[in-house]
Amino acid sequence: MTYYSALYQNRINWLKIIIYLVATVFLVKIVNFQIFRYAYYSKIAERNKTQIIARNAPRGRIFSADKVMIAGNKPSFTLAYFPLDRENYPEPQKICVDISRYLDIPVSEVSEKIYSAIKRNVPVKIAAGLSSREMLKISELKTFYPGLNIISEAGRFYPMHNFLSHIVGYLGKINPKEWEYYKSRNYSMDAYVGKAGLEKRFEQELKGVDGGMYLEVDSKGRLIQVLESRKSLPGADIYLTIDSRIQKAAEDGLKESLSGEGAVVAVNPQNGKILAIADYPNFDPGRMLKGKVGGDTQEFNLAAQGSFPPGSVFKIVVSAAALELGSVDINRKFYCPGYFDAGARVFRCWKKEGHRRVAFYDGFAHSCDVYFYHVGLLAGPYNIEKFSKMFGLGRKTGVEIDNESKGNIFGPGARVKNKKYWFIGDTLNLSIGQGELLVTPMQMAQMISAVANGGKFWRPYYVEKVVDRNGRRVFSRSAHLQRKIRLKQSTWLHLRKALSEVVEKGTGRAAKISGAEVFGKTGTAQNPHGSDHAWFVSYAQVAGRPSEIAVAVLVAFGEHGASAAAPIARKVMEAALKEDLNRSVASGRRGASDRNKGR
Amino acid sequence: MIGIKAGKKKNRLDMGILIAVFFLLLIGTLSVFSAQVAQEKVLRTHMLALPISAGFFLVLWSFNYQIFQDQWKIIYAFMLIILIAVLFFGVSDRGARSWFRLPFFSVQPAEFARIGLILVVANYLDKRRNRIGELKSFIGVWLLALPVFFLLMKQPDFSAVLTMLPIILIMLFCAGASIFHMAMFMIFILIVGILPVLWTIIDLNPHLLSSGFTRFFYSLSGFNWSVPVLWAGLILGAWLIWYLAGKMFLYFPLMNIVLFVAIIVSAHFSAIAVKKQIKSYQQKRIEAFLSPQTDPRGASYNILQAQIAIGSGGLFGKGLFSGSQSKLGFIPERHTDFILAVVGETFGFLGMFFLMGVYIFLMQRCLSIASMSWDGFGYFTACGIFAMFFVYFFINFGMLLGLFPVAGVPLPLISYGGSNLVATMGALGLLQSIYSRRYTLR
Repeated sequence: MTYYSALYQNRINWLKIIIYLVATVFLVKIVNFQIFRYAYYSKIAERNKTQIIARNAPRGRIFSADKVMIAGNKPSFTLAYFPLDRENYPEPQKICVDISRYLDIPVSEVSEKIYSAIKRNVPVKIAAGLSSREMLKISELKTFYPGLNIISEAGRFYPMHNFLSHIVGYLGKINPKEWEYYKSRNYSMDAYVGKAGLEKRFEQELKGVDGGMYLEVDSKGRLIQVLESRKSLPGADIYLTIDSRIQKAAEDGLKESLSGEGAVVAVNPQNGKILAIADYPNFDPGRMLKGKVGGDTQEFNLAAQGSFPPGSVFKIVVSAAALELGSVDINRKFYCPGYFDAGARVFRCWKKEGHRRVAFYDGFAHSCDVYFYHVGLLAGPYNIEKFSKMFGLGRKTGVEIDNESKGNIFGPGARVKNKKYWFIGDTLNLSIGQGELLVTPMQMAQMISAVANGGKFWRPYYVEKVVDRNGRRVFSRSAHLQRKIRLKQSTWLHLRKALSEVVEKGTGRAAKISGAEVFGKTGTAQNPHGSDHAWFVSYAQVAGRPSEIAVAVLVAFGEHGASAAAPIARKVMEAALKEDLNRSVASGRRGASDRNKGR
Repeated sequence: MIGIKAGKKKNRLDMGILIAVFFLLLIGTLSVFSAQVAQEKVLRTHMLALPISAGFFLVLWSFNYQIFQDQWKIIYAFMLIILIAVLFFGVSDRGARSWFRLPFFSVQPAEFARIGLILVVANYLDKRRNRIGELKSFIGVWLLALPVFFLLMKQPDFSAVLTMLPIILIMLFCAGASIFHMAMFMIFILIVGILPVLWTIIDLNPHLLSSGFTRFFYSLSGFNWSVPVLWAGLILGAWLIWYLAGKMFLYFPLMNIVLFVAIIVSAHFSAIAVKKQIKSYQQKRIEAFLSPQTDPRGASYNILQAQIAIGSGGLFGKGLFSGSQSKLGFIPERHTDFILAVVGETFGFLGMFFLMGVYIFLMQRCLSIASMSWDGFGYFTACGIFAMFFVYFFINFGMLLGLFPVAGVPLPLISYGGSNLVATMGALGLLQSIYSRRYTLR
């Protein structure tokens, strides 16, 4: 008799069935894990082991025409926190308190970041843009808290501070609205983006491609190795037509002016290149970057966005109209007693005692209002309006600055459009550039350029090219002739002679430069809200060569064009002509000046 | 008593098992190294354990296994002695005093006690083979195991008890024990296991007491008026069922009804006792188990990471030393309790499938050898060895695949662990011994 029985066999068979049942359940589970959900789990595994620390790409630099760097980058130090092994934390709260004390950031801000880092087990950036002093303090902390690390990144740097700030613009932290726009373009949520000026206009060209360190970390978040250190690709550089010396002269001039408020636009009449575009007050984009927005940050670009009555500067247009149409013989004299009786009202000349008998050149040079009342009446308001349109008033110059103002045209045509009457007094006001007429400094610069170059209106531009790191031009601008006005040669000659007289013996003597021919016109625009605005428009050339510098200066509340604006124009023109002047002065020392030029 | 018939040639070694063991050891060793934990120590211990376990295998194979039936008292005594000794001379690791530290390696007596218990229980079952259906036999087995369980809980080594309990249950099943008895036993275990947890949940969430049912349920956790009421109701109800069934000519022994009621009552009694024993840190553990999000890096984190490892292995696996989850320490206990996750990540689905196939083959062979054994003791021993593999297999896969909570149990022949390997190989030697002395006529 054997011990083995049917009972045993039965039970063994049951066990075999159970084995297969259990194995089948397990197999189904395993197939689900490893085949169907493979993609899901491998993604998690990948994310588990890698952590990315983004490294900002160096932003494209901005250079002036003479290769002076206006915006660049310098290494900026960021404090990052890497969560450590949970067991050997030196109480996170202590780290937070210490960091906040050392860096002067609120504790709550630091602890929020650190605790989120610990919770999610990822590194965080605690503070960016550390100063060297802060770095020194932090390195002390680092010895206590091994989780702290300092990463160097490219930070925006404006070596010339306020220089050209209205054109350069500034950077700021991306806001939710901008994030909507930029998120598809690989911007991180803590990115800095251009908020104004070139920084905004060429944001994506300047940006470059962010690099990053792909770190392999273990389960405790400790660094095992750097898997990949993806280098960042720097952004494209911008080359401007702005000449730093001219720009500097313009900015310094405005800074030292009476009111410290105004704009200077200097263009090359031969091609429309803007050589300087200064606005005052200005700001330091570097300070904006730190989020410390001071009260003095004036973003308004007076040069293109501000419109002012032109005052006597407008007499250029009135003269052009009268000369072209032959309304007035240039030798015809008018008597100026200091006022003009228009019947219903008496219009004054700016000089109370009057200019006595004046012909065109004298009237222009001394800016005699009475003389121009006569000229205006003779030329007629329609013609003046037509000529002011011809000279580009009331329309945008096409300079690439946001919200450019087109000023306001003033004349019977405009009045009719507004269904109002035109009075004789309006003609008189128009003749001396008062009334409702409004112009921008940019328009004035374009106008005076047209006088200098014989009627050519170039589109003003200030970005020469944008070149990426491979030397490829991603953007470029060249001279573009918008239109040309055709006036009689004699008109141009008389006009230039008159402008020259202004500087030689008239109101613009402050703009005289020895060794150069300077043509200009002052303007003092009456301002019902305060002191008068001072204008000076001019161009200059070295004898025998076409003019390469035309300037429009506006000193808001500057009182007198002759005293406030003309000296600034002189400085700007001097800066522009410096090389030419040096050459003519030191023509005997040719070798020396060549070496200068080479530099 | 040597069961070899002269002149009849039969092979003495089951090559199938040997090949299966070879493959399992290969997968295990590669996985342990691929997991890259504390390389030097693991390498040393593992390489030391392999020859020792081979020696155990050879020795136990060459011995006649029937010696162990004759000397069961010595085995039993030895087992208890090492389990007592470890409480005094053992070293503590993570709160459990379960290791003997020897000059070159450490020994975990619980692993050997498991084999010893299988032998002792096999002997007992063989002795009471013809009266196995009796309640006395059923209870006798547990009385035999009780001192061992007690000593293990003293360490405390809960997972060892967790594996031994089902092993004995499966052995009883193989011995033909009454299914009713086994069911009663499982109900007892279930009640004792679950009631205290439920009461603790109510303890932790007092707002649950707002409902009348939970209030009544909670009142059962102490010796309140509701307890005797419930018991009385239970007895009455059971008697009523028996009586009504009898009226419908459905007879079953009154003894069974009495037993059923007794089991429920004593389970309830035990559950109350267990509830009183629950300490605050254990309460916290229950809380963490029930709401893992309060401790994202706790138990659920571990199992999640292990599942990520398996899932990311895909069809072919990431290859040796390339598993990021195992290499970088995302898998906890990756070379021991969670070794399957490493296998899944390293060798992929094909590796897991192969491993499972080999394991099933091994278990099948255990059962086959049981059925061709010479005597009852051999049959029960082989069944016990089968049960051991099955329980490990079941708990390991089930836990990893998220079918039940985490329990720290190694996978024999795969996991790193000298004592477990040596004990397992010893058990396989025993199995071979049973095979080589098998009954050939059937």
